[in-house]
Amino acid sequence: MLGLRGRGKSRSEAFADTQHAGTAHGVEDWVFRAENVTKVYRNGVRANDGISLHVDPGEVYGLLGPNGAGKTTLVKQAVGLLKPTSGTITLGPYDLIESPAAARQLCSYLPQAQPPIESFSVHEAIQLCGRIRGGRTSVVKRRADELIEALDIGEWRDTRGIRLSGGVKRLVGFAMVTVCPGRVVILDEPTNDVDPLRRRLLWNQIRELGNRGVAVFLVTHNVLEAEKSVDRLAIISGGRLVAEGTPSSMKSEDRGNLRLQLMLVPGCDTPEMPAFCHHATRVGNNVVAVVNENDAAHAIGWAVEQIGEGTAEEYALGATSLEDAYIRLTGEAPGDDGTE
Amino acid sequence: MAHAYWEMCNWEYRNLRMFLPMLTSVLVLQGAGLVLGIGLFFHHIPPSAALYVATGVPVLNLLTLGLIFEPQIVADRRAEGSYEFLRSMPVPRSMMMLAWYTVSLVPSLPALVLSLVVAVARYHLHLAVSPAIIPAIVATSLTGTLLGYALAHGIPSPMVTRLASTTLIFILFGFSPIMFPASQLPAWLVSANRWLPFGSMATIIRSALVHGLATPAGAGRAYVTVCAWGALAALVSARVVRHRR
Repeated sequence: MLGLRGRGKSRSEAFADTQHAGTAHGVEDWVFRAENVTKVYRNGVRANDGISLHVDPGEVYGLLGPNGAGKTTLVKQAVGLLKPTSGTITLGPYDLIESPAAARQLCSYLPQAQPPIESFSVHEAIQLCGRIRGGRTSVVKRRADELIEALDIGEWRDTRGIRLSGGVKRLVGFAMVTVCPGRVVILDEPTNDVDPLRRRLLWNQIRELGNRGVAVFLVTHNVLEAEKSVDRLAIISGGRLVAEGTPSSMKSEDRGNLRLQLMLVPGCDTPEMPAFCHHATRVGNNVVAVVNENDAAHAIGWAVEQIGEGTAEEYALGATSLEDAYIRLTGEAPGDDGTE
Repeated sequence: MAHAYWEMCNWEYRNLRMFLPMLTSVLVLQGAGLVLGIGLFFHHIPPSAALYVATGVPVLNLLTLGLIFEPQIVADRRAEGSYEFLRSMPVPRSMMMLAWYTVSLVPSLPALVLSLVVAVARYHLHLAVSPAIIPAIVATSLTGTLLGYALAHGIPSPMVTRLASTTLIFILFGFSPIMFPASQLPAWLVSANRWLPFGSMATIIRSALVHGLATPAGAGRAYVTVCAWGALAALVSARVVRHRR
C-alpha cells in the first residue's frame, strides 16, 4: 500500500524516524533540501524557477515574497500536494517527491486556509490531530494542554470551531500541526488574523520548535516580525530565489543607509522625491525611501519642508530594516500586519 | 493502518456530528416521504408498484450520503480552502475513504430500516428479508461511496462537482430502474441501465427483500455489475486522490 520508502527503509522505520524529531537519534542528515525545483503549471505559468535552498534541523527559515511569487507552490510540493516539473526535494534519506506518503508523515503542514474544525472543540481538534500523527494519547493530551496555555487560547478550550474567530482558528491550526510535529513543520502565513499579543506567543512557539530540533519552514508577509524570529530567510520573486541569508546579511547592502518614512496627509499625491532618496515606495499614506547617512541632514530638511507645505503630517528617520531589503529586492512593499 | 482507520473514523464522526441528527432526519424523511409520496400519484397504487417503490427507496437511502453528499462536502472544502489540510494529513488515502464510508452508514441504515417499516405499514406488504441483505447493503453502499469519492476528488472545480452530483439525483430518480421495473423505460435506457450500476443495486437489494422479483441468475449478474463498478470506482479513486498537479 502506501509505504514510507526511503532508500530501503521500511514503513515502521520511517514512522519511527518522525518520532525522534528533535533528538539526536541516528546519524542521518535530516536537512530539508530543495534542489533546482521548477514548477510550470499547465497554463504555462512558471511558478517556481530553479529554486534551491536548505533548512537545517532546529532552524527557523522564512520564505518571503510578494503575492504570486511562488512561495505556497514551493511548500505544497514539499508536502506532496503538488509535483515539481523538475528538481528534487529531500529530507534526510527520503525523497519527498517520489514518496508523498513519506512527505506527509515527516512534514507537518499548516496551509494558508483555516483548518476544517467547525464541529470540533479546540482541545478535540488538537488532540485528534496529534493521535492521527501517531502520538500516544497521554502525551498528546499533555502537549495539547501545553499549547493551549502557551498560545493563551484556554478561554476557548471547549468551544466549537464554528464559534471561533479567524485568529483563534489560526492558532488552533498551528497547535494541530505542532502537537506532534514531523521533522519539518511548514507554516503558510501562520500569523494571519492573529492579534498582536498572541502573535508574539505564536512566534515564541515557533522558536521553541526550532529549539527542540524541528526544522521550521515558514511563509510570511510579516517582514518585521520575521526579521526578529527567523534564523535565515529567502526572498522569492517571480518564481526565482532572489536572495538568501540571515536577516543581518540581507541588510548588509543597506549598511551606511538610513530609512526615511514620510507620513503624507490623506489624499495628497506622492511628492517628487529628491535625488538622495532611493527605492522610494508608497504604502497607503506612507512613503518609505532609503537615504545615505551622509544625506541625513538633507533628508530631514526636505521632510520638514513637506510638512510645512502641508503635504506630510510627520516623518521618521531611522535604521534600515529587513523591509527595506525586501523592497529593494522585489520592488514591492510587504503588507503591514500580514495584509497586502 | 488500523490506527489510521480508527482515528479517521473519529475525525469523520466528529466532523459530521453537529449535523448527524439533521442528516439522519433528512434521510428518514426522504425515505418515508418517497414511500408515501409516490403512492399519492395513484388513486390505488398497484401492489407490484408499491413493492418496487418500497424496495427501491433503500437504495436511495444508501446512495444519498456517499454518492450525492460526499461530492458536495468535498466541493465545499475545496471552495473554503480546507481541502488541502486534510490531504496533507499522514493517513493512507484508502483509510480516509473507508473511514468516511463507515461513518456515512450511521445515518443511512436507520433511514433504510424506517423506510421499509413505513412501506410495509402503508401498503400492507410482506417482505422476506434474507441474510443476503447484508452483502447487498455492503455492495450497494460501498460502490456508491467509491463512485462518490471518485467524483468528489476527481473533479477539481467545486461548481462542476456540485452540478454533477445534482445531475446524478435526476438520473437516480428519473432514469434508473430503482423504484420501477426496467421494462417501463424506453429501450435505449433499458440497454444503458444494463451496464450502469444503479438498476443492479436495486436488483440485489430487492432480491434480498422479496422472493420472485429477481432470478438467481439475474441477481448474480447484478452483483457482478455492482462489484465491477465498485472495483472501477476504487481504481479511479485511488488514482485521483494520489494525483498531484
